[in-house]
Amino acid sequence: MREQLENVIAEVEKVIAGKRKVIEKILTALLAEGHILLDDVPGVGKTTLAVALSRAVGLSFRRVQFTPDVLPSDLMGFSVYNRESGTFVYQPGALIGTNLLLGDEINRASSKTQSALLEAMEERQVTVDGQTYSLASPFLVIATENSVGTAGTQFLPYAQMDRFLVRLSLGYPDYEAQMKMLRDRRERNPMEEVCCVLTREELQELQREVRSVTVKDAILDYVTRLTMASREHEAVEVGVSPRGALFMVRMAKAKAFLEGRDYVTGGDVQTVFGDVCAHRVLLKESAEETSVGRVLDELLKKTENPDRHGLFAGMKK
Amino acid sequence: MKKRWFGYGAWLLLAACLYFFENNTGTRVVLLCTLLLPFVPPVRRAFFSPDESRKDETRESLTVRTFERREPEDSGDVRRYVPGDSVRRIHWKLSAKKDELLVRETAAGEAVCGQEKNVTRVDAGRKRKVSRQLAAAFAAGILLCALLLLLIPEARHSMQGLLNRVFSASEAVNSYVYSRFAVPENQSVLPAAILLLCACMLLLGITLVLGSRLTALGIMAVCVLFQVYFGLAFPSWVNILLGILFAGWNLRRPVRRKELAAFGAFILLVTLMTVIFLPGVNADTEAASEKVRDRLTQMAEQITGTVPESPAGETETRHIHTRSLENGDREAETEQEFRLVTVEEEQISMPHWINWVKMILLLLLSVLVVALPFTPFLLLNARKKKARENRKAFVSENVSEGIRAIFGQIVVWLETVHPGAENLLFRDRAGVLPEDLPEGYAERFARCAADFEEATYSLHPMPEEKRREVMDLLKETETALWNHSNRRQRFYLKYWMCLHE
Repeated sequence: MREQLENVIAEVEKVIAGKRKVIEKILTALLAEGHILLDDVPGVGKTTLAVALSRAVGLSFRRVQFTPDVLPSDLMGFSVYNRESGTFVYQPGALIGTNLLLGDEINRASSKTQSALLEAMEERQVTVDGQTYSLASPFLVIATENSVGTAGTQFLPYAQMDRFLVRLSLGYPDYEAQMKMLRDRRERNPMEEVCCVLTREELQELQREVRSVTVKDAILDYVTRLTMASREHEAVEVGVSPRGALFMVRMAKAKAFLEGRDYVTGGDVQTVFGDVCAHRVLLKESAEETSVGRVLDELLKKTENPDRHGLFAGMKK
Repeated sequence: MKKRWFGYGAWLLLAACLYFFENNTGTRVVLLCTLLLPFVPPVRRAFFSPDESRKDETRESLTVRTFERREPEDSGDVRRYVPGDSVRRIHWKLSAKKDELLVRETAAGEAVCGQEKNVTRVDAGRKRKVSRQLAAAFAAGILLCALLLLLIPEARHSMQGLLNRVFSASEAVNSYVYSRFAVPENQSVLPAAILLLCACMLLLGITLVLGSRLTALGIMAVCVLFQVYFGLAFPSWVNILLGILFAGWNLRRPVRRKELAAFGAFILLVTLMTVIFLPGVNADTEAASEKVRDRLTQMAEQITGTVPESPAGETETRHIHTRSLENGDREAETEQEFRLVTVEEEQISMPHWINWVKMILLLLLSVLVVALPFTPFLLLNARKKKARENRKAFVSENVSEGIRAIFGQIVVWLETVHPGAENLLFRDRAGVLPEDLPEGYAERFARCAADFEEATYSLHPMPEEKRREVMDLLKETETALWNHSNRRQRFYLKYWMCLHE
């Protein structure tokens, strides 16, 4: 793995112990310029993780706690009448000038706020009163969704879930990790020790490099076969969209880059498949006994991987 | 959208067919049923309404919130603000318009705005599904009836005609079976009954253990044949019931549409089998089947040598196909017509199409017999040729291409001898290699797998040493596999996988 990225992970791990895999995934998504949906119970360190990441990479960080009465103008900004000058003055919202935005409990926001945020995520610009403001670059949204206490929440519609690159879940720390966390925080706050090891410009350079990672046709073929299989699976109502396929390739590129390669292998696709596709697949009502994870595993198992695609044609008994 | 047109098209076609062919009450009932199809709600939903509406419904039904707000009418409900009125009752919108403070008169306009309606319909989907299945079964039944009526010309005249047709078919097959397997006179019924019971138990056991409907069908067939052979027939409904019981036992819950169709087909097969092989469809035809059994006994006696004269006056009313070989002169005028004739039963002749079937089977068999001895050689030669061509790729100009070919060959050989790692990435394959390979093989395999990945997925030019390394691994694999395999595996490796080519 590249040293710069290794450093970032080490910095973040100062505050979040034992979650290397998730940190890697988030870093991968950051490199792939995609947004992250964190689906987890409260208090496992979603905010801490986001803050630590923004510090380690030198990104400006903001956090929005979504409630039903957060309005689109809170995010995008609005114009107010200035009596002295007699003109409307634009008051920037939370999105403007932010690199890393943590949207807490996005499923509690009203649908118009949700769609305003998702629009901004997609276009990376906002338009208020006919004036277009572009967002800071890089722009990464980490949205969280609590899986408990869903009373009075609005689930993200399928079309909007599709815009997130990955859906991850942090999970509880194990015994060792929790002991370490408690020990570290006895008298000091480890967050203050996190220092910037990667500048914003360097990150953008890395993102540019990720874009130039080689993806051969064999891999694209694999991705296509996987997504097609997901659409045809008997337990699946809605399969992986073309956008999902596109995101899968992007994520696989970042994954390969993170591993220090400049080409994508079948293994990269397999690694990111679950995270990229879990929130894009909708099961049928009748498929009660199975779960999305199991269906995706089955798809990976069933779809011939690119290493051996066509290898055994006419070879078997 | 598509579905709706398809449904209506099929419906119209069916109705038209029935209209043109119908000439008695029997079909008219079916026609009426067909015409009513789109008006039965579940059928309409399943076949005649567009698919999209259903999808939208389920999607929206998850959470539907409606925000309602009642605007008070302009003049009637509002009045001027007087000090002391609640500030909350001020109608701000109207006040801004009229440039004076107005308050709502009625309480109705207040605070209705936040009202939420939460509509969840969880069970709706399931209910709809069950009704769809029912509708499908219903429609399939109607379709089947219509198809039977259209296919069997006598059935259009009367129900009796249909039964007669089925009956004559069963008679023909029965006579054939009885002529093939003559029942000895002194045959005891007891062993047959025991055998039958055994067959039934076997059927039950196998269907329970294997859960295979095909096996159930096979043994059901054996069961029925036993009954025919020993002349000990259960009533048909017992057979059908047995079939339903055995096959139905295996239906998985919740029932899927495909399963249901398979189940239906199975029941249909069992029914047909019992109807064709065993005389007597129901109480009405039971008497007729008695006659057949009498005749069959006579026939059996005829075949075994003793020819009794048929009882005087025993005649049979049945349909005779006039296009038989004996009645060639009548063929022209009454082609494809069936009529009722009274004939004295002299002999049972097989339908002439049996001969064609026999001939075709014979032809196929002879081709098979002639071709069979040569096929292994042809196949093995083709394999050898292909293997040589594969080897050419090993030394191709493009080193990456060569590495890919060589490593692919290694994996193919490994998996022919040690299968069970299907669809693993080659990189992960190194972790599940068999144990009897030489020391350090797994590490070399892993290294070469990495080379393979680089050669396959990157644009890097590969150095010649890497190819040599992979080639060494190939040779090592070759010897290791040869040394560790038994004779059967060696045979397979040598001739089918062309190990030493």
